[in-house]
Parts: sequence; C-alpha cells; structure tokens
Amino acid sequence: MLSPEEFEKQYPENELAEELPDKPISSLRDIQYLYGKLYTLATAGGGKYASYLTPDSARDFVDEEDSLVVVRIDVSGDEPRLETSDRRGPVWITKYTKELIPKVAHCKYPAARGIDHSVSHQAGKNSDPEKLARYATERLTKWATDDVVQSVADEHEDGWIIDALADLGADESVLDTIEESVTTQLEGSTSALLTVQVKTEPDGEYQWPGDADLDVFMAGMRRRKLSKLVSKGQASDSSGEATDLVTGDRTRTVGTAEDPLNYFLGKQLEKFPGLDPNEAWRTHPISEDAAITLMNAETFVDACTYRTFGANVYYLPYFFGTPKPEKTYSLYGMLYDVATASDTSERLTPVEHVYRKRETEPIEDRLRFYISAIMPHQMSRYDVFGETMNGLIQYPASLQSAHRTILKTTVFRDSRERTAALPTHENWSLLVGEDFLGTVASGWYFLQTFPEGDDDTHASADDRRIQALVAVLSGEAIPVSMLLEAYVERIIDESRDDENGFPGLRVAAQYAQLCALAHADHDFLEVRDENDTLQQITNPPTYKSRTMKSGREIAIPDGGFAGEEKIETFIEDTPALAENDERCASFLLGALVGAVGNYQEYVQERSTTLVDQFPVKAVTRNRVKKVAEDAIEKAVTYTRQEKKEGRVYPGTKFDYIVERLRKTIIQPDPDDWTIDTDDLRFYYALGVTYGMNDRPVKTNGADK
Amino acid sequence: MTQDTLSAWDDLPSDSDSVPPRCLSVTVRGPWGHFRRIEGNIVKQTYRIIPRTTVAGLLAAVLGIGRDDYYDLFAPEESAIAIEPIEPLRTVNMPMNTLSTANEAMQSLNSRGKVSVKLPDPTKLRQQHNYEVLVDPAYRLYVWFANDDRFGELAAMLEDGRSHYVPSLGLSEHLAELDYHGISEVETGPTEGLVSVDSAVPNAVERVIPEKEARCQVEESPAFMTADAGGRTTTGFTSYAYNPDAGPLTVRNPETAIVDGKTVMFV
Repeated sequence: MLSPEEFEKQYPENELAEELPDKPISSLRDIQYLYGKLYTLATAGGGKYASYLTPDSARDFVDEEDSLVVVRIDVSGDEPRLETSDRRGPVWITKYTKELIPKVAHCKYPAARGIDHSVSHQAGKNSDPEKLARYATERLTKWATDDVVQSVADEHEDGWIIDALADLGADESVLDTIEESVTTQLEGSTSALLTVQVKTEPDGEYQWPGDADLDVFMAGMRRRKLSKLVSKGQASDSSGEATDLVTGDRTRTVGTAEDPLNYFLGKQLEKFPGLDPNEAWRTHPISEDAAITLMNAETFVDACTYRTFGANVYYLPYFFGTPKPEKTYSLYGMLYDVATASDTSERLTPVEHVYRKRETEPIEDRLRFYISAIMPHQMSRYDVFGETMNGLIQYPASLQSAHRTILKTTVFRDSRERTAALPTHENWSLLVGEDFLGTVASGWYFLQTFPEGDDDTHASADDRRIQALVAVLSGEAIPVSMLLEAYVERIIDESRDDENGFPGLRVAAQYAQLCALAHADHDFLEVRDENDTLQQITNPPTYKSRTMKSGREIAIPDGGFAGEEKIETFIEDTPALAENDERCASFLLGALVGAVGNYQEYVQERSTTLVDQFPVKAVTRNRVKKVAEDAIEKAVTYTRQEKKEGRVYPGTKFDYIVERLRKTIIQPDPDDWTIDTDDLRFYYALGVTYGMNDRPVKTNGADK
Repeated sequence: MTQDTLSAWDDLPSDSDSVPPRCLSVTVRGPWGHFRRIEGNIVKQTYRIIPRTTVAGLLAAVLGIGRDDYYDLFAPEESAIAIEPIEPLRTVNMPMNTLSTANEAMQSLNSRGKVSVKLPDPTKLRQQHNYEVLVDPAYRLYVWFANDDRFGELAAMLEDGRSHYVPSLGLSEHLAELDYHGISEVETGPTEGLVSVDSAVPNAVERVIPEKEARCQVEESPAFMTADAGGRTTTGFTSYAYNPDAGPLTVRNPETAIVDGKTVMFV
C-alpha cells in the first residue's frame, strides 16, 4: 500500500479529482465507495484488473516459509505437461513475497466451500500437506473447468491455455504427481497460496498469472468475480436497468453484490419483489463497477473497527460534503495509519489516531465519523444496535476536557485540612488521569458506570451503554432519567457483593461523569420526561478548581470547622442540590448514614454499619423518614457516649450534617415528596460516598 | 393540467424551477415510523426524513391510486414536495418477531393450481429482528402537482379528513395521523446570501453552513420511481441535509420558497 506521501506523489490533485465521486457523502455506501476507490488506487495502481484483485487478503503469508505453492505447466509443446525436466520440477514451493503479490494476482472469494476467483487460491491457515496437495490439483480440476472460466476460454484468443490446464487435470497420473510432489516437499502444515506458472513458448520463461502475456487468467478471474454479483445463493441472474445508488447513473445494476458490512444479503427474500432473489437489484440497485469498488473497501473498513461489549464498533472517518483532493489526501493518511498500525496492543481507535495526529492543529470541522455498533449473531446475520453518520471528534474531545476539569476541582482534590468531597483511586481510570478520549471512544467510559447487561459481556439491542456511546459521539443528548436509572442499577448490582462493601469509588466515577456531561461545551444531558426538576442536574456545578499543591491555601478564618465549610460549599456549588430540597435532603441523609457508618466501622470497629443497614435499594420516599430517624438517633447516642467519656464539644456529633438534614427534610414532609426513586437513590448514594470519605486530612478515622 | 399552470411553471427562472406556484400543506405524524434504508435488508435501519417516494406512496394511498400507477404523478417536472420535520428526530431499537422467508420455511397454498401462493409458515418459530424505529415522527409536507385534477382531489380528501387506504409511516402498523392546513400561495424565497431554511435541505449539502448551535446531518434516500415491465425501480435519489433537533439550517444561496411564512426547499 502506498504511503500517504507516495500516494500524493502518484496521484496529483487533478488526477485524483477525476477518480473521486462528484456528489456529497451522504450514505454508508458513499463512504464504502470512497474507501474502495482509495484502496484500489493505493494498492493495485492502475490497470484494468486492479480493482478486482485482493492483494491484502493473504498479507499475513508474506515472507513466511513455504507460503506459495506453484504448479508448473508447460503448454509450449503439442501436449500440455507438468514440468519435470528443470530444477524446480512440477511443483515449486517457495516464499510468497511482496514482489510476487502482483504476479500471483490473487482474488479471494469468501465462500465457505469453493474456490477463489483467481487461479491463485488461498488455503486456510495452517493447512496440512494433504489438503494443500488437493488444493494444488484443483487449479486444474476446479478452476480451469469452472463454468464461468470456461466461457472465457471459449471466447478469449488464449483460451486454449485454460483448456490445456483442464485437459491435464483430467489425467489421474498428473494429479497423483502433483499431490506426491506437494506432500513430499512439505514437512508439515503451513499457510499458503496455491497458484500456477505456465510456459507457452518452447524457449520462453515460465510466466505468472499476473504477467501481461497471460491475460486469459485475469479475464477468467474478472468474469468469475462479476458473475457472483448477479448469481449467488438462490439468485441465478439478478440484474436489470436502474439507477445506481452510488453514482446516480442509469445503468445495468446488479443485485447480489457483497457488502463488507453485511447489511444487505441475498437471503432476505421478504425485501425483494415477489420474494424473488432475482429481483434483488430493484431494492438495492448498484452498478457492477460500484459493487466491485465497494468490496474493495473491506481492508479500510476492517481497520477502523474494534470490539466492545461483545459488539463490533465501526468508526469510519470521512469529510462532510463532496470529496475534494486536498481533504482526501488527509483522509487517506488517516486510513493508512489505522490500517498499517502493526502492534495491536498499540492500536488506538480511529478517533484517537486522528486526534493525536492533529492535536497540534485545529480540529477540522468537516471531519465526521460514520459510527455503528454491530452485534454479529451468526456468520452473516448482524444487528445494528446503534448508528450515526454524524460522529464528530469535537464531541468526545469536549467531554474529555470537561472530565479533566472536574477531576481538578475541590470535589476530587483534598484541601489542606479536609478530604475532597469524593474519593479517588489510582486504579480508577475515570477518577485519575488526563486521557479520556480513548475511554470515551471505546465505550469504556460507560462500561465503567452503567450496568453490565444480562450476560456480562454482550450488549443487547436496547443496551444503554451503546445508546450512551453513540449519543456522545454524535452529539445527541442523553436523558438524565436514563443516566440515573443506569447508575443506580449498577450501584445496586454491586452492593450485592458483600465483600467489597459500599461501591463508593463507583459512585464517585459516576458523579465525575455526570458532572463532565453537564459541564461539557455541548449539551449532552437533557430532560425528556415531564419531570422538570431534573433540569437542575443538567446545570453544570461551579466547583472551584484546586491545583495539586493545595498547601498555600488560605486557612479558614475564625477557626471555622473545615467539614462544615466543605459541605456548605459543595451544596452551594451543585445546582442539583442547592435548588432542590428533596434531592438535597436525600444527599444529606446519605452523608449522615455514611459518616455514622464510618464512625461505627473505624472507631467502634463494628462489622455491620448503618451503610449496610440502609443499602441504596432499601431507600425509597416511604422509608426516608425511618432512615433519617435511625441515623439521627445513632448520632445522638454516640454523642452521649463520647460526652460521658469526657470529650467536650457543643451540640451533637456530625451536627453540620444533622442540622442541615433536619432543616431540609421537613420541607416538604417526606410523605409528600415527589422526587423520582432513581433520583433520590443516586443522590443518597452520592451522600453516602461523601459521608464515608469525609474526614480531616492526615488523621484517619474519627473527627471532631 | 391547465395551460396556466404550465406557463407559470415555465416562466420561472430556469435555476429555480423547484418553486411551484402554490401548494397544499399537511402534517403527518404518528407514534412510530420506519423508513427502511435501502443499504440494509438484514439490518433494518430507518431514514430520519421521510423519503420522497414514501410521501408519494402515502398521498397515493389517500387518493386510492394503485401500486405502480402513481409514479408519473410524482415525477420531477410534475410535482414538488418539501418536507419539514417538526419534531426532534429520535429513534429506538424495537425488536420484532418475524417469520423466516427462507425457502425451506415457506409453505405453498394451492401449489398445483393455476394461481399458487407461497407464505411463511405461521406455525414456525419466530426470529427476533431489530428494527430502528422513529419515535413520535412528525413532518409538515408541502405538496404540489402539475395535474390540477389530482391536486384538487387530494386537497378535498384531506379537507374532509378522508383517505382511500389507511395512511401509515413506512410500515402498515405505524399508523399516521394527517392534519390538513389548506392551500397556500408559494412565493419565491431568498436565493442569495445566508438563508435560514426551515425544511430539510435537498441536494445542497455543500451549501449548508456548519454551525455550533445547530446540528446538521445528512442522508440520501430514494426520491423518484418508475414502473417497468417487471415492477418498479428508483430513478433518482435525493440527499437531504437536516437538523435532527427540528430547527432550521443556514444555507448559502439556496433556492427557497416561502409558504405561510416558512422558508422551504422543494424537490
């Protein structure tokens, strides 16, 4: 494949312009067509057969030992014969090299059984010698006798060469010789291409199928490939005059072309007029040329994919509008980078590739991504779970920036006296670090915060992780209610696990995400249902940023209590809490439960605490009063105990939480609350996380 | 078609021949809609903007014109349609249980008779397939036919709230509700400078100005059809740029028309 520099040199602007479609990219097919064009230009150069070949399909075999098996046939005499007189003999086993790619001229046909379109055939990986021997003979017995190839033999001036191969293939002793030669030369299984070399002149050289003099081999390959565009499965001749859906030209169109993404198959009869696969061209009209070009998109399309939640996610970059040479060079550069990235562990998502490369330059605002999450069910039955033509790199980039910002605020960074509002941990990728683009683009961002789905790994059609992923990449807003529901479900799922206790870090990660979504330049959150109070959640909080060195901070005047100051600021800076008493009371209730729970665990060394007693799933509007009474009662009890032991302080323990809770929880009375259960539970969980993490810095355990 | 209409049509400057003299407008909406994109049959993804061919089929259903009989009425020179999405375009995945149409799963009725029908066997197990379905889709359609009789007939049917066949949005199970707004004069709209266009923008993707506040998306769908001996084929596609949040898009030098204060683009 040409490097981007070579590509630009080989195809100057005016030449490239002629190859490019002259209409805007407005469908997946348009993108595939453009990719196919670029791939063909970059790999096969010109030549009338270039677009029919698949030079990349056996790329893994290049430079491997015994990766090319060549059956050598001399047709220069009266009778065709296997070569027996020279050093290489009837079957030459050698190394498939880069230089041999155009000579072997391979054209793969991805059929489970059957032969490739070209006389050169790709065997499965690590085939045993017996199998390879059989494939070697099939160059004569199957390819040369194939109906379509035979029709070329009948018409082509060099058709006799194919007939000569077929004649040889009819001779059992010839086949035995080939088989024996293969099996004796090979010591074990290998991955190989099988092809032929032919000598047509008594004093001439042996020639390859891709050599100009053996045009008949290429003509056979070409016709065989074209025949599959109209006859496959139950279709015998699906073609007719219609408008090509790619170029818009009125022309002969074909119905059973391959689709690299398998969106369209000849088996789906109910979508064809009269359930007749021969009518497939009417519902998916595509010209022969466009169909071939589309198939050539495969290498680039495959390079721009990765797996997440058991689904294949495709990210296909393109430039909005009609392709122009200048942008196309840039697009080719991206595709080349992704397709040639060798080390799979180093492989970035196409989004990251583009972003890294262009981090120094302004991001091109016409660059878009076609994104789809596809669940493969069987070999060819796919489901699309989420899809957009309109992914923009700006969306994940703005989310990344918002997420970075939030992690640097008082919410996640300790002050000199007091811990941050929420805990962090170096192993939690949503709570530390700078690089969230890959996290967002790969889906990991929501994998970390949403429920894991029914069978852990595989997404379902209505999987919220995929909905959220596609929404974020295409700039769609995510309904807040869905987010809270997903968060709470994950918290409850995880709380079942007794060993790990309350999933405080999970809640912290979810909250960081919620703030980032609210904070990002783009509107990623929306309130879709009737519940207007959710609106407050979409208002970005206004937390102060805290630099790493917090030592220079101004001490709180008047010897004020840092814990009091902290909770006051946190609530004030969080519109969701400051503007809604029910939600704020839920948060404070959680904070008290968390604080008391912590006290019970670390000071009293109890194994079961209030946090265990009132898990998130047990908290509802009806139970708020009861939980509040119990928590306050515990706080009072511990105050009495400590005061008996001689400690002196005014009021009760945790009164900076208790007093606030008392004030907010009565207006209105919890019996009249209207807050959604998920809303209540998430902010309760946030409170618990806050309360458990709330302590003076440097001294662990009890405070005050 | 009267001579008047034709000449009014002909008199327009050649580069803005997409502006008809007058049009009727009707809002179609429903709880669901599915307009299968042609690049998929195994996967069922939907267009966001109701394709022009679907609009044609929908209105032909109101008029009671048979399949393969209405393509001329909706041909390029004979009709003009503008489509304005009036609700945000959003979708959900809806799994549906379907019967296999593979040969082995079909049963023949009256297989030896002169007329024989093949049907999927309803006693067989269903397969679940995922349909991408529009939620609460609503479009205001602006429609003109050169054929005055048909135009009048459609207006009368819509006025009376009548329809020959049941109108639906893509699939027969997604019933459509039609809300008629009457016939309006069409004025030639601004064609120079930056124009805020309310309808989906046909065949002018290049001229849409990308804006931060207004999301712009693009899709290409079938627009025109013709019948031949064996059935029908698509004769033309239209690429639409549209704002998925149902707001306007800013377009440079578009060929617009103004109908009831709305700036729209016909095709």
